[in-house]
Amino acid sequence: MNEPLLCVRDLRVYFAQCAGRDGAVVRAVDGVSFDLAVGESLAIVGETGSGKTTIGRALLGLHPPGNTRGSIRLAGRELVNLPEEAWRPLRWRRIAMAVQGAGSAFDPVYRIGEQIAEPLREHLGLSRAEAADRAAVLARRVGLEPRHLRAYPHQLSGGEKQRAMLAMALSCEPEVLIVDEPTSGQDVLSRARLIELLRRVRQETALILISHDLAAAAQVAERVAVLYAGKLAEVGAAQEVLEQPRHPYTWGLMNAYPNMTTARDLRGIRGRAPDPTDPPPGCRFQPRCTQAVELCRQAEPPLVEVEGRLIACHLGGLQTLLQAHDLRKAFSTNGNGGVVTAVRSASLEVYEGEVVALVGETGSGKTTLGRLLVGLLETDGGRVVFEGQDLADVTGRARNALRRRIQFIAQDPFDVVSPRLTVAEIVREPLDVQRVGTAAERDEKVREVLRAVGLPTEAAFLGRHAHELSGGQLQRVAIARALVLEPKLIVADEPVSMLDASEQAKVINLLKEIQNERGMGLLLVSHDLALVRKVADRILVMRQGEIVEGGPANRVVTRPEHTYTHALLQAAPALDWAADRP
Amino acid sequence: MSALSHQTERADRRASSLGLEITLGTAIFGLFVLIALAAPLLAPYDPHAFSGRPLERPSVAHLLGTNDAGQDILSELIYGARISLAVGLGAALGTVALGLLVGAVAGYAGGLLDTLLMRVVDVMLALPRLPLLILLAAFLGSGLVQTMGIISLLFWPATARVIRAQVQTVRQRGYVKMARNFGGGSGYVLRRHILPAIVPLIAFGLVAAAGRAVAMEAGLAFLGLGDPTAKSWGLMMRFALNLPGLLLTDRWLWWLLPPGLCITLLILALTYLGIGLEGRLHPGLKR
Amino acid sequence: MRTRVVAYLVTLWIVLSLNFLLPRLLPGEPLSALLDPESSDYVFSAEVRAALEAYYGLDRPLPAQYFAYLKGAVTGDLGRSIRLNQPVAKLLAAHLPWTLLLTGTALGLASLSGLLGGAEAAWKRGSLADRLLTVTSVVAGNAPVYFVGMMLLIFLGAKLGWLPLAGGRTPFAHYDGPLAAVADVGRHLILPTLTLTLSLLGIQFLLVRNNLVSILGEEFMLVARAKGLRPARLKWNHALRNALLPFVAHLAAHAGLAITGAVFIETLFQYPGMGRLIFEAVGARDYPVIQGVFLVVSAAVLTANLLADWLNGRLDPRLAEEVGR
Repeated sequence: MNEPLLCVRDLRVYFAQCAGRDGAVVRAVDGVSFDLAVGESLAIVGETGSGKTTIGRALLGLHPPGNTRGSIRLAGRELVNLPEEAWRPLRWRRIAMAVQGAGSAFDPVYRIGEQIAEPLREHLGLSRAEAADRAAVLARRVGLEPRHLRAYPHQLSGGEKQRAMLAMALSCEPEVLIVDEPTSGQDVLSRARLIELLRRVRQETALILISHDLAAAAQVAERVAVLYAGKLAEVGAAQEVLEQPRHPYTWGLMNAYPNMTTARDLRGIRGRAPDPTDPPPGCRFQPRCTQAVELCRQAEPPLVEVEGRLIACHLGGLQTLLQAHDLRKAFSTNGNGGVVTAVRSASLEVYEGEVVALVGETGSGKTTLGRLLVGLLETDGGRVVFEGQDLADVTGRARNALRRRIQFIAQDPFDVVSPRLTVAEIVREPLDVQRVGTAAERDEKVREVLRAVGLPTEAAFLGRHAHELSGGQLQRVAIARALVLEPKLIVADEPVSMLDASEQAKVINLLKEIQNERGMGLLLVSHDLALVRKVADRILVMRQGEIVEGGPANRVVTRPEHTYTHALLQAAPALDWAADRP
Repeated sequence: MSALSHQTERADRRASSLGLEITLGTAIFGLFVLIALAAPLLAPYDPHAFSGRPLERPSVAHLLGTNDAGQDILSELIYGARISLAVGLGAALGTVALGLLVGAVAGYAGGLLDTLLMRVVDVMLALPRLPLLILLAAFLGSGLVQTMGIISLLFWPATARVIRAQVQTVRQRGYVKMARNFGGGSGYVLRRHILPAIVPLIAFGLVAAAGRAVAMEAGLAFLGLGDPTAKSWGLMMRFALNLPGLLLTDRWLWWLLPPGLCITLLILALTYLGIGLEGRLHPGLKR
Repeated sequence: MRTRVVAYLVTLWIVLSLNFLLPRLLPGEPLSALLDPESSDYVFSAEVRAALEAYYGLDRPLPAQYFAYLKGAVTGDLGRSIRLNQPVAKLLAAHLPWTLLLTGTALGLASLSGLLGGAEAAWKRGSLADRLLTVTSVVAGNAPVYFVGMMLLIFLGAKLGWLPLAGGRTPFAHYDGPLAAVADVGRHLILPTLTLTLSLLGIQFLLVRNNLVSILGEEFMLVARAKGLRPARLKWNHALRNALLPFVAHLAAHAGLAITGAVFIETLFQYPGMGRLIFEAVGARDYPVIQGVFLVVSAAVLTANLLADWLNGRLDPRLAEEVGR
């Protein structure tokens, strides 16, 4: 098997930072490895400061000598720490780069055409006339006209300069083309045209696209490598990685990315980007990761293959919190000996930090399923696996421990809250049952969760009883109670359907906020498709005891596959009355 | 190429060397100020007194010898600091005051007034400095105050330009508009927002103008356009050069060289102080 | 460009008017004093007095004086020197070439060395050579020009005796041929030119160096390097070409500085240029000459400004559009 065209192994680029702290070293790129085959296209995505541009520049040897370590092999030839004179004939001829910010990439005193022709004369020895002709051809290819070539840089628009830079980069027909942030700062139409252009370009040369624009990456590249704090988090086929991210960071990135497909609100990743001079111990992402365990803080995860992708995570990627296999439940109707099968055969998964919505009409079995998952009802068949443990196998103390990590929120708060207890006692009950901490610690915890749900913590409020609270307030108390044991998964059964519309919005937002902050999984059972569309990552549609459809929320809502789903969508409340008119 | 590879580095060693410049400049400048203030204590003789025979060589009584009139050169040198500093500071104040007034008004008012004032500035900047200086000095007569005034008149346009630019920048900043929204009037805006933005420029302008003024004053004295009664360093050099055959003896060593060195040192001190201040003003300045 | 020419003419007119108004507005009425037997400035020679009266025309109304003055300026009648009893225009014509020779040579030398030296220093930024050159330039640029001249005069002229101490050429010299004349003039030119060049060099060097350092950090220089261009091409075609723009922009200001320096140098070296002329005229209160020199020098500097503007417009494509051809 031939060695791939470009072979990068353990690339490290460190800078000395003198301003302020002496001796502080910025570890911009800290051990990146990837391959690029002839004609392949790879997108390196990441946020500002992740080190993507640094990688691009390292591939052209533009960093000060000594800053780059590791190995970069182009067609077998080692490039790291090559002397400047040896680099010169390689640059542009074999690897070329279209830099970020085309605005300042051109020398202001020469015409565009001259600058495009310049490398042709330098590397290929073309005469002035020949080079000018070639430049004209290149310009046409990228959609520029002769008048653009005659112009000076300040006379061209941003999009035109971007295309001119591409033409310039392609001039010597390099084997590898690096394009750094071509779409940033562009209006949508220019951006679309550029993406179109890049798709054509990738057929001629191996392409490395550096970008934080995930949609552009998906459209242009075959593979994508996600970079975080100078290290690779996930590498795989572009469409797959971006549609079904496996690494917690990639997943967070997708959630935060504004696009036309997702109606769900944006969610940021909690915490802050790491300091490049002082990265966190162990896994770089660990302080912000909701599923981090002790190992994550101690050792850096290697990039290993997991189901066709490369993932750097000790846990092998996003964890599956809850898995249900082929659950069944039937109730006997009184008297006749007849049986109502509430749940026929249901299988589902809830991943770490995810919001899954279970929708269906009344009688679909969704409420039953919810209760089965939490253990409020015994199953007739099938298994429920939580954090890798089968709930049926677990007894005694272990079961108690497990109980703490899954909590339930019911539809009617008045139903699940004792009218005799005060607010403080209600919220404290789980702590009392599980005997967590001292009395004082429990009281403090109660106050903490009440604050988290936006309720007052004064004695006057704490002493109230259920009938003294409104529906919204009581539901918040119920949520606080569910939070007090710091669960990993909350199953909420129609948590807001009994509340007024204004309260609904507030409580559902509260749930979402808590879920994101604490990194919990949330299974939301509801009949209200319009509502769950705002918060859900995935939607499962249930009908007559079976799950008929399931998938990413945006896909289910815009391209439903099952007719039932279609019907549900049609019937969902919409504010577009004109559509209803015959 | 060491030059270009620095582009990708984020190293910036400016902070440490700027500190050196400011320290050095301040120290030397301070030294001169001290000498000027303590002149009566430091100088062995009254510079106008004929304390010795003409053209004496350096001796214990006269460390730098005497000039052609028999006056002690060292005392002349020490008192000369007063003249140079006085004129330097006076002219600097005048320059900055004028420049501030015109620049702030033009930058803040804008419109016709701004255009008019800037036309004046442009014309003044286009005129050649020294010939105008000579013309004015010839017609207005010599005297320290006149010298200060003339120098101020010639240097204020550059200061006005710089201040105007800054005032304009601040004026159209968002926070000024917000202050307006809150109901703040022109006086408030000028006092609260614009003035703090110009203060660093004023400091730098004073230092730069002082440097130029010291040079100009010495030059005028050297040309004979200064105050003949004020014993400035430039005048000392003029008298020294008037002596026929001065250069053929080594008399220049203690008569010509000391005042020349003093002028150079003072100007250098002010220049370095200015460079240091400028570096603090513009942290992003690449040098 | 057209607007620039108009501005130039307007400024020239202002200079002329200033020249006219100043002596007439100042306290002490210096001009009338020339003709007043009681005053210490009284001109004794009747012939010169008559010429002065005719030129200044103090008995006529102001507007008439003004027009007469303007007419004279255009036709070349700038009055008569009190001290030397010659037409001012003739004096100026005799002295101007020397100053042009001095300042032109010095500017050219300083610019060339400043460009080359500054480029090298910027290229090897931070090296010992760079730091040494920078410090030297700051010192040389700030030392008063007459002081530098004096030092050179002492060391190269008096001590070592290599070069003449004063004058534009050996007095009362007879030349065998033009070459000998040039050689003599050249020998006398060396010290003054060297002084002026050193004085200007400091500023030029720093300007070029700092600008170039700034340019080297620009994105397009990185791209040029990434394009694999030869170092020579990077240095000259891209970096220096861009550094030329601010350099030319400052050239006019440096021309002004050169004039200033020339006055001192000509005085010091007794060099027969305009600076020397005005220096002597000031000593003798020879107002017509003072005014004449001021006029000519101003016109020269303004012309230099205009040339620099035009050159800048040609070099910088971003300005070419604004200026408009």
